Amino acid sequence: MKKFLEKSVRWILTASGFVTSVVILLIIGFLFTEGAGLFGEPVIEDGYVLAVNKENPVSRLSAEEIKAVFDEDITNWKDLGGNDMPVRTFRLEDADDYFTEEQLGSQYEHAGEAIAGLVASDPGMVAFVPGTMIPDGAGIKLIEDKNISPGEVLGGKEWFPTATPAPLFGVLPLLAGTVWVSLFAILFALPFGISIAVYMSEVASERVRGILKPIIELLNGIPSVVYGFFGLIVIVPMLQQVFGLPVGESGLAGSLVLAIMALPTIVTVAEDAMRNCPRTLREASLALGATKWQTIYKVVIPSSMSGIASGVVLGIGRAVGETMAVLMVTGNAAVIPGSILEPLRTIPATIAAELGEAPAGGAHYQSLFLLGVILFFITFIINMCVEYISSRNRAKNR
Amino acid sequence: MEKIEAKEVDFYYGDFHALKHISMDIPQNKVVAFIGPSGCGKSTFLRLFNRMNDLVPGSRLEGEILIDGKNIYAPEVQVDELRKEVGMVFQRPNPFPKSIFENVAYGLRVNGIKDKAFIEHRVEEALKGAALWNEVKEKLNASAYALSGGQQQRLCIARAMAVSPSVLLMDEPASALDPISTAKIEELISDMRGKVTIVIVTHNMQQASRVSDKTAFFYMGEMIEYDDTKVIFTNPHKEATQNYITGRFG
Amino acid sequence: METPTYPKGYSSRKRRSQAVAFTICRLLSLLIVLVLFAILGFIIVKGAGVISWDFLTKAPEDGMTSGGIFPAIVGTLLLMLGSAIVAFPVGIMSGIYMNEYASRGWVVKFIRLMTNNLSGVPSIVFGLFGMALFVKYLGFGDSILAGSLTLGLLSLPLVIRTTEEALKDIPDGIREGSLALGATKLQTIWKVVLPMGMPRIITGLILSLGRVSGETAPILFTCAAYFFPQLPSSIFDQCMALPYHLYVISTSGTDIEAQQPIAYGTALVLIVIVLVINLLAGLLRKHFEKGLKMH
Repeated sequence: MKKFLEKSVRWILTASGFVTSVVILLIIGFLFTEGAGLFGEPVIEDGYVLAVNKENPVSRLSAEEIKAVFDEDITNWKDLGGNDMPVRTFRLEDADDYFTEEQLGSQYEHAGEAIAGLVASDPGMVAFVPGTMIPDGAGIKLIEDKNISPGEVLGGKEWFPTATPAPLFGVLPLLAGTVWVSLFAILFALPFGISIAVYMSEVASERVRGILKPIIELLNGIPSVVYGFFGLIVIVPMLQQVFGLPVGESGLAGSLVLAIMALPTIVTVAEDAMRNCPRTLREASLALGATKWQTIYKVVIPSSMSGIASGVVLGIGRAVGETMAVLMVTGNAAVIPGSILEPLRTIPATIAAELGEAPAGGAHYQSLFLLGVILFFITFIINMCVEYISSRNRAKNR
Repeated sequence: MEKIEAKEVDFYYGDFHALKHISMDIPQNKVVAFIGPSGCGKSTFLRLFNRMNDLVPGSRLEGEILIDGKNIYAPEVQVDELRKEVGMVFQRPNPFPKSIFENVAYGLRVNGIKDKAFIEHRVEEALKGAALWNEVKEKLNASAYALSGGQQQRLCIARAMAVSPSVLLMDEPASALDPISTAKIEELISDMRGKVTIVIVTHNMQQASRVSDKTAFFYMGEMIEYDDTKVIFTNPHKEATQNYITGRFG
Repeated sequence: METPTYPKGYSSRKRRSQAVAFTICRLLSLLIVLVLFAILGFIIVKGAGVISWDFLTKAPEDGMTSGGIFPAIVGTLLLMLGSAIVAFPVGIMSGIYMNEYASRGWVVKFIRLMTNNLSGVPSIVFGLFGMALFVKYLGFGDSILAGSLTLGLLSLPLVIRTTEEALKDIPDGIREGSLALGATKLQTIWKVVLPMGMPRIITGLILSLGRVSGETAPILFTCAAYFFPQLPSSIFDQCMALPYHLYVISTSGTDIEAQQPIAYGTALVLIVIVLVINLLAGLLRKHFEKGLKMH
């Protein structure tokens, strides 16, 4: 009986030991299934087709071209490889401009034929209509629709998930936004982080350190929405004034807030590393006539470099994944930022802002999961870097 | 000629009275050994000569320590200037995680010497002085950690000597080494005798008798006896010294 | 060897650069302290006037332009409780397994790697995952249950790590002593190891609760309600939560004039929760350290 108890407890403990691994696998699994679904979605909005005149040589359009056409950025078919003639677009909402109610029928039952007739009679026409509406043949053809390709998503420069007829899921602007904000955050946080770590581990008395340490911990404990709120109320208007910006919500505001948020991580890890620098090394340096500061920058910092590096990388990880604060202060413009003073949008902020509105199971929804996958892998790689750095460090210290 | 004079030195770690009323003179360019059981204060005393104990919070010194007739605890004395004069070798080899060359050059660099040719010349000289040159001249840029323990300790001696101090403090420099490396260190000390004042702390009485000119015996924070090494090991005046060197305690 | 000629004045020059460097370090540290106090002070000063008994005990009214934040406070407390129920038992058991059972080597290394990785996963990814698994796949819908599970998974790595570290510091001799008396491994862990590690484990658990209380991203799509004035009646209800309420009020408010004070008040309550939790953990740690010294 006792033995059985011991055994079953052991079994339960073993099972719970692997719970984090299971969670990771589940995260990967669920995010992947949802995210990969995006590549099974058609480029043109589900259930709709693009109909053109049968004579029109163009039979294939990319999502970006479709958007350009319907935004009237492209107005001639020759830009799309067709004949030299103007593009005319037709959406279902435009039906009333072309047809009388009689022609369409009270329940739109004749709309399909009417539109087909219109397209058949106008060689420059492209119509965006539900696929079931259009009758076969009759002088029109449909633009070939393929599935959304990974290349379009990973290399796409436009994020426009709600665009019709063809939503754009280019992640580059979001990726760029994330990188910009995190990069600047670390640039701001680094000098502070190192200085504070040096001060706490080398300069401050035990008493001062005893005050600083809880303060840094507290800084780490403040919820990110509170940082976001503070950023929104204080930092954003301040930046707007200082730089004379049209809007204060900008990459800079995001990186300032993120810098404060990443700081505790950098300080804690770097300080730990510096305190672990052996006393004998410090003594050797001092005994040669070096000052304390010379000892710090010639011996202590170099020998705790890997610890400092993992602190910085962890800080980057924290910045990359931070959602709420960034969402609240960066202005969320999904464009590749030209400068840090412009609004931009990060991957986590995009997920948080858009998932609520994206219909479950649709391409938009799936694209947000794909962003989740990308984010997961970025942080996964960052974590692996930290593991690598610290394992190398352990090997060195042995 | 006296190089170091300690005058009625008392030293405290907080409430603990670590050194009690010690006075002694250390002659120039001789080797003086401090012996005694662990915790007797010999290392503490040694570390007063380059003010290494300044680092210990709550420590306090009474009395004077003079080097070349100047009180090294006088307010106008700068510790880094002092430590340039008074080098130190520690119990365990503690090379920096840098190349062999940079280890030896470190003391010159932190004291403001930038002349590359001079530094190179000096590093070579110091390594030769520590009988290490032939072993490392091909790999000066290799990490100091690639050396064996004994080589590392000789590197540390070279590092200390490169600054050309007039006093070298050695705190049990061979206690972490094997017998062959220990013999090499002792050989080095003999080579340096007459060129630099050496104060060596050791728990190894044979070592003290082999390398030193004078020996001081410490016990419970007091200096019990200080005399020529020959006298201490053959005809000590105090009973405690006698007991210690004959191995009856400690 | 001839004495090298050291450059004159270098000694005072390097002392000067030390003074400059230390001053910079000191100033930057001071600056960060000031930043913290600015954030805290700003929210405390602006929020203190808003806090009243009614604010703490009433539901939002008039399209969230007046009234209190009671449902959000209750919601946050429920989520903290829920996540604790999810994470603490599993996390502690996992920590015990890591330190007491797992044979050294690749198993421990692998689990630790996975735990570290999980702790690095951004909270918004947890939110996505919680939505996909709990809300959609398991059909819990937007609910306290789904939110608690998501937050629980999020705090799991912290709980595991604290447990492991607390147990690691208990000397092996104590285990061997118990085993030598004929106790089984399980008895040793239950009667000796766990009680000794408990104070530190509890400190860690409290800190993980603090983290959970402020998380927004994971509950965005799994639980949090924009407006849900009555209290939840089952774990399948949605609930309001302080951090989400603060987010909503400060970004998508309809009437900024009227809502800003509510935002300050909400932020203050959040900060107070975090402060109290940190203080509690600090006190506990100190208390424990004192107890340790007495041994």
